[in-house]
Amino acid sequence: MTKPHHNSVFLEEAEIISHQAFDGDQFIMRLLAPHCAAKAKPGSFVHLTCDPQLPMRRPISIMRSSYNEGWIELLYKRVGRGTTLLAQRQRGEKISILGPIGTPFKATPGQSRPLLIGGGVGMPPMIFLAESMRQESDKQPFVILGSEVPFPFKPTPSKILIPGIPEGVIASMPLLDDWGIGNRLASQQEFSGCFQGYVTELAQLWFRNLDRETRSQVEIFACGPHPMLEAVAAMASEWQVPCQVSLEEFMACGIGGCAGCVVEVQTADGPAMKRVCVDGPVFEAASVFN
Amino acid sequence: MSSNSQPTLNTDFCGMTFNSPIVLLSGCVGFGEEYTRVNGFSNRDVGAVCLKGTTQDARLGNQPHRVYETPQGMLNAIGLQNPGVDHVVNQILPNLDFTETRFIANVSGSSVEEYYEVTRRFDDSPIDAIEINISCPNVKEGGVAFGNDPVMSARVVETCRKATDKPLITKLSPNQTDIASNAKGCIEAGSDAFSVINTLMGMAIDIESRMPIIGNNQGGLSGPAIKPVALLKVHQVYQVCKTHQIPIIGQGGITTAEDALEFIIAGASAVGIGTALFYDPLVCKSINTGITDYLKSHQLSSVDQLVGTLQMNQSQPSKCGC
Repeated sequence: MTKPHHNSVFLEEAEIISHQAFDGDQFIMRLLAPHCAAKAKPGSFVHLTCDPQLPMRRPISIMRSSYNEGWIELLYKRVGRGTTLLAQRQRGEKISILGPIGTPFKATPGQSRPLLIGGGVGMPPMIFLAESMRQESDKQPFVILGSEVPFPFKPTPSKILIPGIPEGVIASMPLLDDWGIGNRLASQQEFSGCFQGYVTELAQLWFRNLDRETRSQVEIFACGPHPMLEAVAAMASEWQVPCQVSLEEFMACGIGGCAGCVVEVQTADGPAMKRVCVDGPVFEAASVFN
Repeated sequence: MSSNSQPTLNTDFCGMTFNSPIVLLSGCVGFGEEYTRVNGFSNRDVGAVCLKGTTQDARLGNQPHRVYETPQGMLNAIGLQNPGVDHVVNQILPNLDFTETRFIANVSGSSVEEYYEVTRRFDDSPIDAIEINISCPNVKEGGVAFGNDPVMSARVVETCRKATDKPLITKLSPNQTDIASNAKGCIEAGSDAFSVINTLMGMAIDIESRMPIIGNNQGGLSGPAIKPVALLKVHQVYQVCKTHQIPIIGQGGITTAEDALEFIIAGASAVGIGTALFYDPLVCKSINTGITDYLKSHQLSSVDQLVGTLQMNQSQPSKCGC
């Protein structure tokens, strides 16, 4: 009685290939995890053991994966006991990971102008999604990344012109720029070349510059803090464009067994509690924020 | 047993053949299929799977947060989220592979009548056995409110007994004064077996907001932190059960074969695995291997030979433990 979800998640002892610290208590970790890397999709996460002394795993979004080289890359911020211990792990050590897990983002065919918005440690799935769109010639994505601490990369002036974006807002993520994907950075802080304000304020400027026909081609994907997602969902509703958001919640099993990580969503049958781990983490924004 | 023969993990539990003493615990593995997502996991590695707690009507359960890590354990307050017994019987059970393992329903209710009705529905289904949950700490009515009251506990068991001839396993709460006395009442009311123990009630507080972290304010504590408590409760309940040949599923913080063996020696015929799965989804394989190795090295042919073989120290401990 084999079912589609059977054997879709792998338990791997993943070797840390690199582990780099950035300002703002941010870390990028690259792990050798070939099974997970082969199946990971934008929106997927891994449930990992930060340290053997902790009884629970931690869910962390996948930022990039390489099928050919068998690695996945994670961006996380040191915020609690788990990530504090994770930050101490060294290159060459092994970490138990369970992944890839979760219902990924699903771009709608025909929506040619995806808008990807990532805030803080919500940036990784947006970078993964942007990379997956490189090969899709009918998609012209625009990525907005927001952070209140220095970005975990060295922002560079973008070579890609984005209509509607204020003059001087030129800072971009070099990786995305190199991929030919238009992107800009936003922050409340006075970071050089960044838009000073909320990601949604920058997105509004971009929206207003689009003609009606182009606007109807927009589809929003977002991941970040709850208030940001709420604002993004409201913006999607205002412009009447589809929107998917990736959520997070304290998680125990990470595999759909315990219903510990639920979020309340509206369905055709009324309110329901959906598991962030396997029903999500990606949900239609309108079902979560209404 | 000859030194070459392999000991068996097969065990009889209330007339059911378990192909391992391991039972996957209710609330940890959804409705029996969720962990098959994990490559290498198989329900065939366990003797039985207890399905998620089921009530008469669908329940949304508690508001988040529902889980939180604590020292060597975790708190949970799910609140019996389930789609209702009709959905479970009609939509879920037909999709379970009963050739893999035994499936045990977990019945909950906010009234004695609801326990009866849900048990009756499962009686008319392929389910192998029924666990009566009178110890859920995370619902306002029923649950542990019944389980902590010996008279109500017995009444619930007696009522469920009238609804089914399938094996009835009563899940006992550690949050009560005299668990052994309650077990005795449940045996007289018709319980065929016990699950010992459910979670211990606990709390975690966010010192910045000064609010409980768990949405339900309090939750059930599980994991290695509760193992010594669970072990003592199994020992206490076994003193009542052994004369009636009533088996126990010992549970609470088991993460290794050594933990499982402690529970078996204390009197458990089977051992429950729950929170340990969250850390290691393939833990059952290593526990099976570890138990087999132990049996072999101690020249035992089956787990049954080990159940309740605890040799107490000559000096009796004082009841206060000081």
